[in-house]
Amino acid sequence: MVDWSRQITLDDVVVGAEIPEIFMPITLQRLVMEAGSNRDLSLIHHDREVAQSTGATDAYMNTFFIIGLFERMLREWMGTRGRLKKIGSLQMKSFNVVGDVVYCRGKVTGKQDDGTVSLDIWMENEERVTVTAVAEVVLPS
Amino acid sequence: MKSVPEKSEHNRPGWGKWGTWEETESFLGKVIGIAEGADAVEQGTIRCWMESKEFDCPIHLDDMAAQAAGYKGVIAPDNMIFTYGLPAYWQSGDPREQPGAEPKQIPIPVIFDVPAPCNLSFASNIDVEYFAPMHLGDRITRTSRLVSISRKTLRVGDGAFLRQEDTYTNQHDEVVAIVNLDIFRFAAPDNSEN
Repeated sequence: MVDWSRQITLDDVVVGAEIPEIFMPITLQRLVMEAGSNRDLSLIHHDREVAQSTGATDAYMNTFFIIGLFERMLREWMGTRGRLKKIGSLQMKSFNVVGDVVYCRGKVTGKQDDGTVSLDIWMENEERVTVTAVAEVVLPS
Repeated sequence: MKSVPEKSEHNRPGWGKWGTWEETESFLGKVIGIAEGADAVEQGTIRCWMESKEFDCPIHLDDMAAQAAGYKGVIAPDNMIFTYGLPAYWQSGDPREQPGAEPKQIPIPVIFDVPAPCNLSFASNIDVEYFAPMHLGDRITRTSRLVSISRKTLRVGDGAFLRQEDTYTNQHDEVVAIVNLDIFRFAAPDNSEN
């Protein structure tokens, strides 16, 4: 359980430190639940045969799901008074398919006096990094 | 029989409007789509979005927690911007599906409405900048522009990186988020005549 009463501040942040990871087992049921809630109903994200016709081994996570998990990881770390400013340079390296367990991880790369904290964030499964991105959040002082 | 990608106009499996590169260029810098989100920001859809991610931050669920964090009330997760900017898949007056209808591929980015000599694609890069929170009752509009075209031949085929800039605004014309999406659209090798 996340303790939402805790609030990280800019002073707490150490450049180079990793933030707490989150993980999610990817099942077809999870992809269907996610597609229903984010309304990305593209067939590649819930139909194995269509996904395989595009080169994937199975149905795979959509972008809304991936960036939403990144938001969850960042929010759980930055607390309720942190503010998400940017997620950028998000690049898909490989598919995140049914059967994978995906891990979202992040590392602080810089901080500024105005409260802005920069991070490298990424998603990986048991074998490889599948998504890379950078993020900026604003923390209270 | 299960659905596979539809046949496009030149009889290759895929999606996206077919056309010439000259037609693609004619859209450069122009608005290529305006979509009004089907649903206002509301608590039920927020809860469902969070449920699927096992996410429980109280500023998205509880007015008092949101107010304690400096907001006037519950706010939606920032990345629900994509969901609240999507138009309805069916609405009153639209034709109803008939028996035997197959599922359709849904290429969400409106860049697929721009004609190009391409039938397949992949997203290569996304940048999202968040400017304002979404409160309960907000209505989101997405305005999309084609901001760059960069022709390229990759291993998968001949095509172009197309950059779509989506500006999401609320009912007060306040910019909520700006998304830049790079999609490589390309023509797959035609094996249908082999």
